Amino acid sequence: MLQLADVHTYYGNIRALRGVSLSVERGEIVTLIGATGAGKTTTLKTILGTVRPRRGTVTFDGRRVDTLGTDRIVRLGIAQSPEGRRIFPRMSVLENLELGAFARPDRDGITADLERVFTLFPRLRERVTQKGGTLSGGEQQMLAIGRALMARPALLLLDEPSMGLSPILVETIFRIVQDINRQGTTILLVEQNARMALRVAHRGYVIQTGRIVLHDAAGELLRSDLVRKTYLGEK
Amino acid sequence: MSATARRAIGWTALVAGLLLYPFLDRALGLQTVHAVSDGMIYVLLALGLNIVVGYAGLLDLGYAAFFAIGAYAMGLLNSPVLGSPLYGHPWSFWLCIWLAAAMSALLGLVIGAPTLRVRGDYLAIITLGFGEIIPVAIRNLGDVTIEIGGWRPVERLNLTGGENGVNPVGRPYLPGVPFETDPVPWYFLILVIGAASVWAMSRLHDSRLGRAWMAIREDETAADCTGVNPVSTKLLAFALGASFSGFAGSIYAAKLQAITPGAFEFQVSIMLLCMVVLGGAGSLRGVVLGAMLITVFDRVVLSQTTFLVRGIGRTLGVPALAALDLTLWRWFFFGLGLVLVMLLRPQGLAGRRTSPIAPDDADEVTAMEPSPPPRVESIPGWLREQLAPGPATREAAILQVQGLTKRFGGVVALHEVDLVVPRGSIIGLIGPNGAGKTTFFNVVTGLVRPDSGRLTFEGASLVGLRPNAIVARGIARTFQSIRLFPHMTVLENVLVGEHCRLAATVAGAVLRPPSVTAEERRARERARALLAFVGLAGKADDLARNLPYGDQRRLEIARALATEPRLLLLDEPTAGMNPRETETLTNLIGLLRRELALSVLLIEHDMAVVMGISDRITVLDYGTRIAEGTPAEIQRHPRVIEAYLGTGSEQESAARTAPR
Repeated sequence: MLQLADVHTYYGNIRALRGVSLSVERGEIVTLIGATGAGKTTTLKTILGTVRPRRGTVTFDGRRVDTLGTDRIVRLGIAQSPEGRRIFPRMSVLENLELGAFARPDRDGITADLERVFTLFPRLRERVTQKGGTLSGGEQQMLAIGRALMARPALLLLDEPSMGLSPILVETIFRIVQDINRQGTTILLVEQNARMALRVAHRGYVIQTGRIVLHDAAGELLRSDLVRKTYLGEK
Repeated sequence: MSATARRAIGWTALVAGLLLYPFLDRALGLQTVHAVSDGMIYVLLALGLNIVVGYAGLLDLGYAAFFAIGAYAMGLLNSPVLGSPLYGHPWSFWLCIWLAAAMSALLGLVIGAPTLRVRGDYLAIITLGFGEIIPVAIRNLGDVTIEIGGWRPVERLNLTGGENGVNPVGRPYLPGVPFETDPVPWYFLILVIGAASVWAMSRLHDSRLGRAWMAIREDETAADCTGVNPVSTKLLAFALGASFSGFAGSIYAAKLQAITPGAFEFQVSIMLLCMVVLGGAGSLRGVVLGAMLITVFDRVVLSQTTFLVRGIGRTLGVPALAALDLTLWRWFFFGLGLVLVMLLRPQGLAGRRTSPIAPDDADEVTAMEPSPPPRVESIPGWLREQLAPGPATREAAILQVQGLTKRFGGVVALHEVDLVVPRGSIIGLIGPNGAGKTTFFNVVTGLVRPDSGRLTFEGASLVGLRPNAIVARGIARTFQSIRLFPHMTVLENVLVGEHCRLAATVAGAVLRPPSVTAEERRARERARALLAFVGLAGKADDLARNLPYGDQRRLEIARALATEPRLLLLDEPTAGMNPRETETLTNLIGLLRRELALSVLLIEHDMAVVMGISDRITVLDYGTRIAEGTPAEIQRHPRVIEAYLGTGSEQESAARTAPR
């Protein structure tokens, strides 16, 4: 469904991605784990077209997207819940969610999806008129994911959904990620919390300084030496 | 040729050029000295504005008002003609110029004071209003009558000359110097004042004060929480910035020999702002360049080109060209130039580069190199000395919080919270998102005022103190979302932390007596030692924004340590770090406590960290303390498991801490 082939992305002179190749098949949860600064967020930005690769291609459903504008890519069916949530703080929860469906023409579908988001995140229904900026960190994370779902994406990109959340909320969020996947959305999950990410994912990629260094089924990665030492903090 | 030699040659050439220019001009018959001298007055104004806009980051759209105050102070004190009792005995120019600067500075304080609470757009609008008020007031104070009942204490007093302005204004007198007939003495007078201003400003920029201004510009809240008093710092920016326009205004008045309110309208403020932005806000060289470019373009290039084009038009017989007056298009050209600069070089012609300029492959080496583990030997000696417990530290509890309550509207963020931090201990503060942990930090650090409750640090109450005063008492913090001063260097960030422990004043910063030089040298040594301690030794001159995430976290801790705290508040210090970085940081915190008896209050979601390092833990939920105890007690506490830990993480954190 999504293919990155030998993608090189630069910020000025700095090479952030040095030949990243990865693929996501329909129905999967694929996780991309790595340290801060390894290139995880840059990979997502390259997929969405907010930065352009200098070399390599990104294809989605067999179509090259690395030359398209971000709004076009979103219309093709990719949506993102960005790192640090980036919700609209002075707009209400409902307005935030409705903006997620900005590119969609089908009114009825939007109403149905709003209901679906509220079912996944009952807390958002309770706070539907509250301003986004007054939500707690966990609720903002829910709102960011909910907003992305409102675009009814075929592929959902999640950037660090567990960052800054309490243990119980981390569990909740990951359970919901699995629910979303079971309802038919393919997910590419970028995480620092390698343990939780590999527990819910089918396959995983490990990225270090802009290169994929390891790629396997999630269960295998959990057992690999590299992952256990570097990303699970085991000795 | 070495860089220093090149610099020396460059400076010599510049000085020689500036000194020889008027004679060259006379020899060639160019007659541009007048225009260039006027340009230099605007340079002086732009330099003053640069303190406010470029250094302190306060957008001032009414700066011409200070220019007007300076000019009128000179005009009124040094004019023989006006009818008010003040006049008739013109004072010496050399005295008036100082009085004018003082008047402008005073007015800077008066204007600055009410605008301190506002920032950004609001501040700009207030200064805009002020800039409009002053010329109007000057126009209307030309005919003042005060009537109380039938009594008129003041009748038809001409205070400012009204629409006609003040004419003539006395000129400076120096024996044998022809200020009346020759533009060259003016050129040198302005050159001397301008050079002295540039010199003073470059010294201010690299001082305790300059760093405080930039810190305010970068992030006022973080600056406040790092010990910089935003009120006095901003007032000083306004006052000093205004005093330069006092000099400029008085020279302008005396040089022109006449002033009218029309010379200080809104356009002048905008033109000055254009000069600063065109050259590069915050850069001295840039501002001088921008101001010179715009005035020379305005006074020389436009009129000369008009002359030329008309000549061509007449020769070719094109009436449209022959009647063209390009000077009418000056605002068009300013606007166009500004748009082009913003598009092509938003930091200004000579502004500081902010994009990363790291070489191509350098990041590969550093990124994978694990940060060195903190070592006992690398704790800076000075920090050890400063934090050595003195005789005044008898009390067991360094921080005592009782019944702390804070409401935001109807929401109770904190409800009757009690918490004690014993000296030299690490206390964990955990709870679900939105439980009030960060609000608790904000109350302790003075960002938020509690509704009720007691808050004592080393026996003295903290309630009602401003954040910077609390830092001075010995409490430092870091932020959940890192709040560094992104466009300052790593070293400067730490130096801002030392701000409240340094003493240099404005005069000290400019004149640099030995005491200030020594203090500054010591401050830099201390900052470098701290950077080495947290593992950032090689990055002192990088911009803070270009550091990788983990380094930014450690820099924030170094900055907090630079304030010489006895209590350190860490808000999710390991968020976004990988396990290895987390471990390094955990060791660092433990080391600080063990070696320096530093007390730590820690908000953290990583259970392995909290449980492993804390002596005791307090759990908040919906603003209320639901549990308090040792890590082992907290891990078993049913309410904590229900509200916060969940069932899964007990095994997980046990699995992670268990020996392998």
